[in-house]
Amino acid sequence: MSLWNYVVTAHKPTNVTHSCVGNFTSPHELNLIVAKCTRIEIHVINAQGLQAVLDVPIYGRIATLELFRPHGEAQDFLFIATERYKFCVLQWDAESSELVTRAAGDVSDRIGRPTDNGQIGIIDPDCRLIGLHLYDGLFKVIPFDSRGQLKEAFNIRLEELQVLDIKFLFGCSKPTIVVLYQDNKDARHVKTYEVALKEKDFSEGPWSQNNLDNGAGLLIPVPMPLGGVIIIGEETIVYCSAVVFKAIPTRPSITRAYGRVDADGSRYLLSDHAGLLHLLVITHEKERVTGLKIELLGETSIASTISYLDNAIVYVGSNFGDSQLVKLNLHPDAKGSYVEVVERYVNLGPIVDFCVVDLERQGQGQVVTCSGAYKDGSLRIVRNGIGINEQASVELQGIKGMWSLRASTDDPYDTFLVVSFICETRILAMNLDDELEETEIEGFASEVQTLFCHDAVNNQLLQVTANSVRLVSSTSRDLLDEWKAPEGFSVNVATANSSQVLLATGGGHLVYLEIGDGKLAEAKYAQLEYEVSCLDINPIGENPNFSQLAAVGMWTDMSVRIFSLPGLDLIRKEQLGGEIIPRSVLLCAFEGVSYLLCALGDGHLFNFLLNVNTGELTDRKKVSLGTQPITLRTFSSKNTTHVFAASDRPTVIYSSNKKLLYSNVNLKEVSYMCPFNTASYPDSLAIAKEGELTIGTIDDIQKLHIRTIPLGEHAKRICHQEQSRTFAICTMKYCQSSNEDSEMHFVRLLDDQTFDIMSFYPLDTYEYGCSILSCSFADDTNFYYCVGTAYVLPEESEPTKGRILVFVVEDGKLQLIAEKETKGSVYSLNSFNGKLLAAINQKIQLYKWVLRDDGSRELQLECGHHGHILALYVQTRGDFIVVGDLMKSISLLIYKHEEGAIEERARDYNANWMTAVEILDDDIYLGAENNFNLFSVRKNSEGTTDEERARLESVGEYHLGESVNRFRHGSLVMRLPDSDVGQIPTVIFGTVNGVIGVIASLPQEHYLFLEKLQSNLVKVIKGVGGLNHEQWRSFNNEKKTVDAKNFLDGDLIESFLDLSRNRMEEISAAMSVSVEELCKRVEEMTRLH
Amino acid sequence: MEESTNPSSSSFSTTSYTSSRVGKGGSEFLSNLPSRGLFSSSTVLSTNPGGIRVYVCDHDTSPPVDQVISTNQTNILIRSLMLKKQRNDAVLKDVKGKSTTEITKGKRAAERMADGRASAKRASLSLNPRSSQQEKSSGCAFDKEIQSLTVDKLRILLRGRGLSVKGKKEELIARLRNDNVDGKHI
Repeated sequence: MSLWNYVVTAHKPTNVTHSCVGNFTSPHELNLIVAKCTRIEIHVINAQGLQAVLDVPIYGRIATLELFRPHGEAQDFLFIATERYKFCVLQWDAESSELVTRAAGDVSDRIGRPTDNGQIGIIDPDCRLIGLHLYDGLFKVIPFDSRGQLKEAFNIRLEELQVLDIKFLFGCSKPTIVVLYQDNKDARHVKTYEVALKEKDFSEGPWSQNNLDNGAGLLIPVPMPLGGVIIIGEETIVYCSAVVFKAIPTRPSITRAYGRVDADGSRYLLSDHAGLLHLLVITHEKERVTGLKIELLGETSIASTISYLDNAIVYVGSNFGDSQLVKLNLHPDAKGSYVEVVERYVNLGPIVDFCVVDLERQGQGQVVTCSGAYKDGSLRIVRNGIGINEQASVELQGIKGMWSLRASTDDPYDTFLVVSFICETRILAMNLDDELEETEIEGFASEVQTLFCHDAVNNQLLQVTANSVRLVSSTSRDLLDEWKAPEGFSVNVATANSSQVLLATGGGHLVYLEIGDGKLAEAKYAQLEYEVSCLDINPIGENPNFSQLAAVGMWTDMSVRIFSLPGLDLIRKEQLGGEIIPRSVLLCAFEGVSYLLCALGDGHLFNFLLNVNTGELTDRKKVSLGTQPITLRTFSSKNTTHVFAASDRPTVIYSSNKKLLYSNVNLKEVSYMCPFNTASYPDSLAIAKEGELTIGTIDDIQKLHIRTIPLGEHAKRICHQEQSRTFAICTMKYCQSSNEDSEMHFVRLLDDQTFDIMSFYPLDTYEYGCSILSCSFADDTNFYYCVGTAYVLPEESEPTKGRILVFVVEDGKLQLIAEKETKGSVYSLNSFNGKLLAAINQKIQLYKWVLRDDGSRELQLECGHHGHILALYVQTRGDFIVVGDLMKSISLLIYKHEEGAIEERARDYNANWMTAVEILDDDIYLGAENNFNLFSVRKNSEGTTDEERARLESVGEYHLGESVNRFRHGSLVMRLPDSDVGQIPTVIFGTVNGVIGVIASLPQEHYLFLEKLQSNLVKVIKGVGGLNHEQWRSFNNEKKTVDAKNFLDGDLIESFLDLSRNRMEEISAAMSVSVEELCKRVEEMTRLH
Repeated sequence: MEESTNPSSSSFSTTSYTSSRVGKGGSEFLSNLPSRGLFSSSTVLSTNPGGIRVYVCDHDTSPPVDQVISTNQTNILIRSLMLKKQRNDAVLKDVKGKSTTEITKGKRAAERMADGRASAKRASLSLNPRSSQQEKSSGCAFDKEIQSLTVDKLRILLRGRGLSVKGKKEELIARLRNDNVDGKHI
């Protein structure tokens, strides 16, 4: 790999941090707005359900998200503040469908200690000011003027230093905040303050309440007419106002999120740390609160945010599991739950660990993540490309073509499958037992190869062979009419739809037939100068049975031509250039846009925008799908039409947001495909592979596919063992009993195909699984799972004891072979020169695997290295060891064989708090630190002095905005050896927000090109809310902020493809590179993930 | 509705509840959930988030010029001292008579604005030479404050006015007071 890196998101963040409901896109539309850390999603709620409208990237980590309505406005504005102290107010402009920045600014202070409990941003219900609590002891006010414009912000000193929550009270003549805080004796109180805007100061508020529940952590302001505030504690819930104080006890629980149900604030939904959803009811007589009631409704994912949408439908956003749409039923179900989950939104976050494996041995990596936390813990198998779920398969050699036919014209399902071989045609059909058996259509010629088949109007079937076109009744199956090729000519290629046939014979003769009731009529004939290589008359106009255009691919001049039908007049000729003949053409329409696709014999594909009326071809684009000739076919799945490109790299071509996308199918080589939509196997495809015919259904058409294996416990480490075909994971299970919560830790063994738990090993009380490794040792052929643990005792601040456990898999069971006690937590295990390298607290220790006299094995300490704060992450390469320290960045150690010692070779002297490290190549190491930055350092072997050589030089810096938990070498996509991209080495990373990203090391020339493109894109693509891209990507921690270097923002670069043509041309002009070339280079990059 | 033998306790494997807490209430409280007629169709559809349009923002996103918000840089301590002083003044004026307070009110507001502008430059001393009516009307307040200052601070003030810094505290105060009176006459 190299120091020029390209960072791109393969799977966007799915961790929902905030949500709110209001009229954002129009005064009459209700919207749900969801924040996923660095993105917001705008949904529209209508009678049919929830419709996702827009996914908006934000150049910042969203700290607060609020909808509010300034005076005199008809719709809501969106207030967003980012963790790096920028804020913006956005308005939706319905006319242009754009987000307009109404106000923006920087709310950072030069001095101030950032709050421990997260940033708070609140808006006065009467819209007089925005309040921000960003630094301890300071409350920032951004006042509104009478026209709803924001004015200069100012700080007010807040005496309470440990603030837990701040909210505005409803119905106060002066804006009033209520502050929940902890004093220096750890007691919690609430206090109210009025904000005096004129004096820029607080004045005492109407009331306060001391000595609340020790776990009080959440305030819920109650709207008028009731007013006041609800304080949610761990064991009590309190309603408090100037006149009333009511409290009720609750079952001990930590409430993380609330959602208001009624506009008058009489009912609230609360969700606790176990994902239990409660309804909190304020009982009142007119405007006087008489009490509180709490009811358990049921279980959801552990919520981070709750938004009541409408009509008993509630959005539950989650950090730790899938977000959900739930319905509150009036009557409980059989299990007593009032909650019905109607929709789940996959969330991979937090990705604590993952591994890259090739389970199907297809040369394509899959990522298996440890996702979710607590009860929502799961494994997720993330795979690029579309899978085929095989339902039936038969061995059949030498298939030359396949078509499905219906028993009658108005039958919604297919019955027959025509399979053509070199010198025969066989017909398969579904029998009554839903089995595929051979049958016959008497009117079809069965002793010759079939060139094309199609259903025709009036209950007829059509077969084209080299000699003739046969029209057959689908009811009697008898031949009705036949068109014979002229003497001495044979049909080379043919195509048809329900009422038309187009065929070409040798010598460039193009013949057009029309299908009548029992009749075939030769309607037109044309002589072309060259042989025809492929044809298509797929109807894409208004009439589904009749096409007004024909596409014809030609030998010799390598062109594709458009003819009009029925006149067979040439209206357009497009030279493809190059030496390769077109092998398959297809007219198709996606999302109302018509295209001409033209596949070449070398695996390339052209696509053109097609004007259906004039036959004009524009927007020519070329992509490489494989290396072998491609056959194009349309099919439909879930009522949407897609195109299947059969070749050595089968691909599905589909359209999203009017952009063509290519997704590879997880099959090795497909020669032919045809849709075979039968009653028993709806939406199925018949696929001809080498020597095999398969019937299967296709996955949802999207790029990444995620399979969930729910565990019900928190998976923390994962590792795959090829030899035993198993996964081993370290998990933590939370056990809640009536009075105390306890944890249990396990090592579990899973089958790598079924993901069934085969065996488990319980760890001791207080013993955590910290690391896991599959390895073998020198002089021993067995493969072992090594597990590093720590005894986390409540009275110790840092573990002082741990174990290394060595397991072998025998008969699908974990057998403990050896164990070794350590003097600390085993944070990392690596296989190293046939030995085991362990990172134990501040030490790196090397163990060898020795044979004892009695034939048993044990781990024996060979040597070690001290001098870390906590050596958390270790990677090795040859004799080099790269250590990521808790707070001392990256250091490089070397193992000296002769001396049997580990020594420090160099270190990075920056104080980075590490969250992951990886070795990119011999000299360059990659690190992620806890301020959401990436950086790379280089070993300085050529340094002239010892001092220089002992320093790891920082060569790359970048703000990712995501907390990376793990790097792994590998790739999510099948590597095409023929393309440039196939040679680019990549590292995959997984983050807390559920992002799976790819870091690709580019050749310098390639990097410089993309860097130039990025700098031009920044001028065109603006940050939403006026947020600045350069600032966003600048490396930032408490100590320094420096511009990004040697890392490129792939997400920005790839958004080039979403730009309008004009904008693309603007960039093309600025770079003096053609739009086509730019598209090609960027599309290549998109194929990295 | 189930009351005593509550099936819900078995449905949540992770928890157990006391029967008094779960039960009939849900239905009672879940009635009349707010509705605007949305989600009315029998099946709730939700579009696939994978197919959602990604927003690419190629228009100018900078906010209107007057809506670029920054924070007032006045030190909070200084602001609160000023505020305190103003409050004291107000109290004193109240004692003296309402008419004067009313007159000065407008003036103070104007003055505050000026202060706000100049605030960045201001040193951390609250006692600046201010040749305003206020000081005349509140001469005793001036005396009081000046008495409370240390000799060092007094010397700084004197130096600021180009006066001699020698002598005992009383002399320094006298010198300052004279200067104040003189200053006003000039």
